[in-house]
Parts: sequence; C-alpha cells; structure tokens
Amino acid sequence: MELELFSGAFFSALLAIILIDLVLAGDNALIIGLVARNLPKESQNRVIFWGTFGAIAIRALMAILVVYILAVPGFMLAGGLALVWIARKLLTPQDSAEESHLVKAPAASFAAAVRTIIIADAVMGIDNVLAIGGASHGSILLILLGLAISVPIIVWGSQLVIKLVDRYPSVILLGGAVLCWTAYGMIVREPMLVSWFEAHPAAKLVLAVLAFSIALAPWYAERLSESMKPLTVLLPAILIWMLGFEVAASVWKVQADYLMATTQGEYLMEGLRWIGWLPLAALFLWVRERLVLRSARLARSPQ
Amino acid sequence: MRLIHRSHRAANAVRTVSPSGELFVASIVICMILASFGDAVDPTWFGEAGLEFAIFDLGGEFSVLAMRHWHLLELLLAGGVMAAGIMILRIVAGAFFRPLDPADSGAVEKVPIKL
Repeated sequence: MELELFSGAFFSALLAIILIDLVLAGDNALIIGLVARNLPKESQNRVIFWGTFGAIAIRALMAILVVYILAVPGFMLAGGLALVWIARKLLTPQDSAEESHLVKAPAASFAAAVRTIIIADAVMGIDNVLAIGGASHGSILLILLGLAISVPIIVWGSQLVIKLVDRYPSVILLGGAVLCWTAYGMIVREPMLVSWFEAHPAAKLVLAVLAFSIALAPWYAERLSESMKPLTVLLPAILIWMLGFEVAASVWKVQADYLMATTQGEYLMEGLRWIGWLPLAALFLWVRERLVLRSARLARSPQ
Repeated sequence: MRLIHRSHRAANAVRTVSPSGELFVASIVICMILASFGDAVDPTWFGEAGLEFAIFDLGGEFSVLAMRHWHLLELLLAGGVMAAGIMILRIVAGAFFRPLDPADSGAVEKVPIKL
C-alpha cells in the first residue's frame, strides 16, 4: 500500500514509528560503557565513535533489508506474530534491573570492542526495525524518517527518553497498543491471507481482539483479582479455538456456519465449535487449581 | 537491554501508570477494536439484507461502520474524546450520587431529627 505524502495516513504511520522508536530504543550507551571500560582512554573515544557509527550503519542496512523481506509471502504474518509477542514483553513488569546478556566481558582490543557494539545493536534493533517496517507500509521515505528519528535517540537522546517515560509511563502502554495495532495490520495485509480475510471478514475482529488479549495480558492481569487471573489464558485460548474452526472450515472445505449446515455432521461440528471449549476450560482450571496453586500454597505455608 | 528499563517507573508501566493515562490508552485500545469491528462488517450486507434504513435512517453513519480504515491519528483523537467523556460522566455521576449517601452519624452536616 503506497501512502500519499503528508496525508493523514502518512502522519499516522510517522507517529507510530516515533512511538515505536521511543519504546523499543536499545541502551547503546550502556553497551558501549560495558565493552570499553577496560580499554585505554584514547581507545575509548575511538570505540565510542566507531561503535556508534557501526551501530547506525547496521541499523540502516537492516531497515532497508526488512522492506524487501516483508514483501516475501509469509514474512508479514511471521513479523506480525513476533510483534504481538514483543508488545507483550514490553508491558511485562521488570522487578529488578535487567543485566545486559549481550556483553559477557569487557573487550580486550579496539576491533573486538567495535564488533561487540555492532552485534549488540543489531540484536537489540531487530524488533525496532521489524516494527518500523510494519508501520511504514513499505514506504522508503517513512523508513528513512524512522531512521532519522532513531539515530539521535541512539546517540544523544537517551536521557530525554528516560525522563519522558519516567514521567509518563502511559507512553509505554500506548507504545504496546500501537505495536499490537501494527501487528494486526501486518497480519491482515499478509499477501497469502488477504483473500481469506476478504472471504471471512468477521475473522478480522476475532484476530484484533486475540492480538490485544495476548499483547495486553500483563496490563489487564494487574487489574484482575486472583480468581479472575486464568482469564489471561482462557480468553486468547477461546479466540484461537474459534479462529481455528474458521481456518479448518476453509482448509478442509467443511461447513462451519450453522445457518447453512444441512447434515448431522455439520451440526455436530457447529456444536463442538461453540461449546466444545467448555470441558477444556474446566480441565485447565482444575489442573491449575490442583498443581500450580496447591504447590504455591504449600511453598508459602510454614514448615 | 531497552532504554526504558533504566527507569523503574517505565519498566513497571502497568503498575505505575496514572489513572487518567490508563483511561486514555484504554479508550484508544477500545477505539482500535471498534475500528477492526468496522473493518469486519461490510456495509453492503445491510443493503443485501434490505436494511439500508439501519445505516441511513437510524444514525448508522455514526456507528462503528464510520470507523472503517481509521488511521492512528484519528484513533488517538477519538480515544482522547472518549476518555474525556468518561471522566466528565464520572464527575457528573459522582456529583449526582454523593448527596444520596447518608452522612456519618457524627458528621457536622448531619441534621438532628427528633420525632
């Protein structure tokens, strides 16, 4: 889909890219500091310059590559599913400061330091580049603008971003929602599924609610009482069940609409679709109660 | 490591978010789901079912069908309006129902009634 320049869609995509850049920005300063801390003082400045330059170059290369990769059938779907998971991880609370696992030890030489910084940035930037690729709708101009916004964040803007999200944590929630909305758009635009979604428009609604129910689970789980917590698993599972029947009906050419069902088998299938999940949900709640909650209670009880 | 994880408040956004910020984002999410509902419903179905009046006579143009293919900016604006509406509704409802609650027996404004 080509976006018209300076249209509402263009500015919306740009806003989505800015939000994605803010919430998915990697902490390059920390990586550079960890890698270069044992190097001599004169080497440290060179490492900071070439490490940052290499990080920007690799980010630009990945951004260009992702446009072509997302055009390959199947990758839009895979990218959309990955973004749902990335949004979920973004909203999952972090109780303690996470140690960077990308840097095992300080580098012993200049080349090793620059190489480690570039690899670490490439690993940290994969999700960012994927999300920008999805939000840009294949527009190279938007990709370039996304890069132009993320590069200052990489180089100078880290303290500004930290202050912003510290003052307004709702930016993180908004970022998660925008990531999820981008993921939904990517899945719906998947070339292999476009015609299927046109034939099954109701599946779009189920897919949207499914994506939000998975990605925003850490958010609404915080607001649910202990007895309602299984809803974070049951709601997505029921939606997957419903969507699965819709997909199965298309793949095996089975009639899954009860208004059009004519044979006994089709009525049974329809019954299974609407109430078949109930015993499975009951089984899940029973197993959860027996195994998980009981072991948690035993662990808490005094010896 | 993400930049946002340098801030404890941002890393625990689902716990530290303010009620008004949460209401705003929740309203946007609701608008996104409503927009996807608009995408899922084909307005031509109404014509095929002989229900054109449902769209044009019963205010259908203001329903979720109008939200088809909405952009993020439109969704943000709609979410903001919805959040403001809900906040005003809460204030008005609070102002209406608060006088209906009986004051504590020891409260200053309690009117002594002796029969």
